[in-house]
Amino acid sequence: MATSARTGQIVLLLVLAFAGASRAELRAPVQSIVLTDAFAGRQILVNGNGLDVTRQAVYSSSNPAVAIVDVRGYVQPTGNGKAVVGIKHAGQSLQIPVEVKGFGDGRPVDFRTEVQPLLSKLGCNAGGCHGKASGQNGFKLSLFGFDAAYDHAAIVKEARGRRVLANSPESSLFLQKATGQLPHGGGKKLKPEGFEYAVLKQWLAAGAPFSAPEVPTVTGLAMVVKDRVLSHGQSQQLAVVAKYTDGSERDVTRQSEFAGNLDVVAAVDAEGLVRAGANSGEAAIMARHMGHVAVFRALVPHAAPLKELPEFQPLGTIDKLVAAKWMKLGLRPSPVADDATFLRRLTVDLCGRLPTVDEARAFLADTSADKRAKAVDRLLECPDYPAYFAMKWGSILRNSNLAGADRAAYAFHNWIKDSLANNRPYDTFVRGIIAAAGEWPEAPAINWYWQNRDDQLHQTTADVAQVFLGIRLQCAKCHHHPYERWGQADYYGLAGFFSRLGRKNFGEPPPYFSSATVTTGEKDPLTGKAPEPKYPDGAVARFGAEDDPRHALVDWMVRPDNPFFAKALVNRLWGHFFGRGIVQEVDDLRDTNPPSNPELLDALAGDFVRSKYDVKALIRQLLVSRVYQLSSDPTEHNKTDQQNFARYYARRMPSEVFHDAVNQVCASRQEFTGMPRSARAVDLPHENFGSYFLDVFDRPKRVTVCECERSSSATLAQVLLLSNSDEMENKIAAGEGRVARMLKEKMAPAAMVDELFLAARGRLPVAAEKERALAHLAGAKKNEESKVVEDLLWALVNSREFLFNH
Amino acid sequence: MLDFIGGSSRNCEGVNRRTVLRAGALTLGGMTLADLLACQSRGQAPISGRKSVILIWQAGGPSHIDMYDLKPSAPAEIRGEFKPISTAVPGLQIGEHLPRQAAEFDKMAVVRSAFHTNAGHGMGSQWMQTGYQATIEVNDNIYPSTGSVVARMKGPNAPGMPAYVNLPRKVSFANAAYLGASYNPFSPDNDPSQSGFQVRNLRLPGRVDASRLNRRQDLLKDLDGIRRDIDTKGDLVGLDTFYRDAMEMVTGARAQKAFNINAEAEALRDRYGRHDMGQSCLLARRLVEAGVTFITIQAGGGWDTHGNNFSELKKNLLPKFDQSVAALVRDLYDRGMHEQVLVMAMGEFGRTPKINSGAGRDHWPGAMSVLFSGGGLKMGQAVGSTNAAAEYPTTKPYTPGCVLSTMYTALGIDHKHVFYDQAQRPMPILSEGEPIRELVG
Repeated sequence: MATSARTGQIVLLLVLAFAGASRAELRAPVQSIVLTDAFAGRQILVNGNGLDVTRQAVYSSSNPAVAIVDVRGYVQPTGNGKAVVGIKHAGQSLQIPVEVKGFGDGRPVDFRTEVQPLLSKLGCNAGGCHGKASGQNGFKLSLFGFDAAYDHAAIVKEARGRRVLANSPESSLFLQKATGQLPHGGGKKLKPEGFEYAVLKQWLAAGAPFSAPEVPTVTGLAMVVKDRVLSHGQSQQLAVVAKYTDGSERDVTRQSEFAGNLDVVAAVDAEGLVRAGANSGEAAIMARHMGHVAVFRALVPHAAPLKELPEFQPLGTIDKLVAAKWMKLGLRPSPVADDATFLRRLTVDLCGRLPTVDEARAFLADTSADKRAKAVDRLLECPDYPAYFAMKWGSILRNSNLAGADRAAYAFHNWIKDSLANNRPYDTFVRGIIAAAGEWPEAPAINWYWQNRDDQLHQTTADVAQVFLGIRLQCAKCHHHPYERWGQADYYGLAGFFSRLGRKNFGEPPPYFSSATVTTGEKDPLTGKAPEPKYPDGAVARFGAEDDPRHALVDWMVRPDNPFFAKALVNRLWGHFFGRGIVQEVDDLRDTNPPSNPELLDALAGDFVRSKYDVKALIRQLLVSRVYQLSSDPTEHNKTDQQNFARYYARRMPSEVFHDAVNQVCASRQEFTGMPRSARAVDLPHENFGSYFLDVFDRPKRVTVCECERSSSATLAQVLLLSNSDEMENKIAAGEGRVARMLKEKMAPAAMVDELFLAARGRLPVAAEKERALAHLAGAKKNEESKVVEDLLWALVNSREFLFNH
Repeated sequence: MLDFIGGSSRNCEGVNRRTVLRAGALTLGGMTLADLLACQSRGQAPISGRKSVILIWQAGGPSHIDMYDLKPSAPAEIRGEFKPISTAVPGLQIGEHLPRQAAEFDKMAVVRSAFHTNAGHGMGSQWMQTGYQATIEVNDNIYPSTGSVVARMKGPNAPGMPAYVNLPRKVSFANAAYLGASYNPFSPDNDPSQSGFQVRNLRLPGRVDASRLNRRQDLLKDLDGIRRDIDTKGDLVGLDTFYRDAMEMVTGARAQKAFNINAEAEALRDRYGRHDMGQSCLLARRLVEAGVTFITIQAGGGWDTHGNNFSELKKNLLPKFDQSVAALVRDLYDRGMHEQVLVMAMGEFGRTPKINSGAGRDHWPGAMSVLFSGGGLKMGQAVGSTNAAAEYPTTKPYTPGCVLSTMYTALGIDHKHVFYDQAQRPMPILSEGEPIRELVG
């Protein structure tokens, strides 16, 4: 009975096409509604002339004793029988027959179906309230309601049972607090006259039972309308449908929580009305119900869609796919940047340094048509690319000496650098880290394990997921991931691959090896036993005593059909070079945080897999695209774009790169204790080299794998250091520095201006700049010729043009 | 990282609960650095007037049983050498080597029953300075320090001043963590008791005078025409503002004047003590007057008295500490600033009641004393008590969260306010602890 009743309830008979209606037309995707119990409801969506008019339409019920409908188009039963809901809008009308046939049949309020979604909807079990690990005021619920049995016990059995009183439900603490009749830190959440209060009261009066075992549970969630193009100010009502273990479906629009990822583009209210905001772009709106999520995507174009983009000639897949998205959004790209800007950008992004004066001159003088592609090839083969990316990976892999082992940190750094220089395929590189074993001189990557000093291997588990799969799994150690399908079983399944990792008792770091038996004392809280290996989202794995489960994990990761591995790296590198991931943050890939261009991410990941994980080929593909070469100057047609790369997004240089750039321009040196004299900041193997400069510019402490550990935020101390410090004056006026050399060579003022501009900005000055600079140089007092040149260098180093990669 | 980047709430308080979802969010329309600066430069603190905090940090772990919680009836191997003395508060006794504080104790209060459970310097320091127990021993705090939180929530009390300062140098575990570098402490990086004291990079460098700096700025203005709208985070505009602020601090009077400790009368400088601790306390008073909101002072070093506990305390540590704190408290009261300024003194833990073989005391988080003065709290009392051996609280056990929430309450900051960390987890300012009732009333 339950099955057929539930199936009947939803009747998504026809989802009519909304778009393209050429004449006045009113439509609803549902033709009739059957409600089978007193707690059912149904959100009607109404479409008039291609636009959502759910909130504008006027509703009426032919028989309020059977069904009522509110101004938002939400239908609720009031008694058994038949009624017709009338819908009127702009002179058009529609009738939807409603049948109610389970009202008052005694189906009790169900804890999982009715009560728990209510607790989520009201925010009771949110992380800021009773859902946090310590609970709130002695009352703790599972976060977002992922543990029904726990929550039921917390409500019914704790506090000596005072929370629920069956014979006097209104006096239950549970209702008294929620309605604010007793002081409640969370405020007044329920109105005694409301439907939600009535449901809870009915449940309490029935003795506050737990769900019966045969009551179906949710298996999935779907949006009735999955995506829409909206213009500013337009709205779209959402309707959410849950599917159950028995195959039935139920409208849970009013029992779902909604949240958007970008309110300035599209925001959602508590009843699921999405409204396009002032900004253009794309937003993902999530509905969550009983641990499941569904996503609606709102696309708010910048201008009318374009049929063609004659000013932009695609050079390859990237250009084609990005341009396709621009056309859909009505974006026009900025023009291609000039040569000087391109070379500086490329050299900073790829090599972590500025172009030298000679490099800049040579590139500007080169007249060959393919000089940009040749520059990419040349720089990919120069030692600065592996040096810079070894620093980047060193931060992400947290190569540090927090736990001691200075030499091992150095060795691991060099191991990463060599891998990059030799273009080791990415799968081999990753295997070298995840399956590292042996003594550190031969296997320096064991420092990755050692620095975690992590006998329970929690850090390892979370890092593997986040760094190599783009999954932020650490939430699932303690509770179900709030926006994803990952639960504790997935977390401990991944942890299971590391539960036999052993280490010896000597050496710093000690040798690591794969043990025949479990080495960690950690228990899977779900089983009470040592974690058993299970592939994320996959099957349980079994291993013999001889096997190293870590190799099997890498085998699974690097399979061509692995949905995470290639995408995670492609997105990370895209984010590095384009200033924003296709998915942003770069290591947070999930359905509720969708890519801005899924076709692009898929295509790049596919190419990367087919290349057998050739990292240099991937980087080359990104850098020779026209998209990478666009000017950072916004145009009228793309100034509102922040997601689709219609221009290059200018940004600060990372701390180490900026430190080295200052020294490069000043031709000054900064030595680091214990490092060769030529070592730059990007060459440092770990974070523990004292440098006020690097700290002030927020060098990462390497305590997290998140690239967000790097902050680009400006601070007062940074500005004081750059503009008003002896440290900078000593660089600017360094005895062997650039200014001293130019003066010693008795260089003509015009040549000095050119060289300083080329060194700092990678370009020659324009006429007005040159004139101004020369005027300053000409103003020197006698015997103070060096001061005016220093002033010019000071001005260049403090200019925003220098501070930014643009 | 500005945690409200991408948020839609345009206010100085930052985020709402749903910002958690905006891991991939953009900044446009959200609060940018420029907005932040606008909020700060309004100058008036939004919450509770010009309240400020001076935290005296006794790194290493001060010996509670020798300072504020003496146990004269305990056996010799516990009670040690020092005797209790009476204070200005009838019936309230403290250690004999704090005589100046004893005379001012009607303006102070001590909580004797603070405690936690981690005896490591790094983890204990993080717990006491952030309110969160760190799970690994690292060299920087994982959670934001209280000073950073206050800087984030209130900003400076006056424009042209930093919100959060460490004296005389940066204090360990006092950083902003996930609140972002903007909320790291500003520090003079020099000892104010030295005759040539100056703030790092606040005075003009040796080779540059004001007119040269002006010429440089004119040149910079003419040579920096790059568009300010080429980045997506507002950093370019933010930097322009920081440059203006920095030049104001360098060339303007307010900050220079505040840091100019030489302007103080010699007699008052002497009263605070001519040492780093004393002059840092005096400088702190000048800075809160000028608009700094939170100052952490490193109370010298050497509180980690594993050996020669008694002679170290008697000869080195306590005379300076006693003099500086008593002078600061008295000065704030004399100037009528005590309701606005909260002074606190504490370290990462107490010390073992049982004296070790080297006449030292080791790490002991089971009980510790925390000193309070002013800030609108109730003074002239000792709160809580420990057992006969000063090992554990017997009444009023107070956690680090209780200690810090008392401070936040005095500042008018909601200690349940939520920030988001790098993983976008909601992190309340404090995850546990309620204000100490005896102090907040």
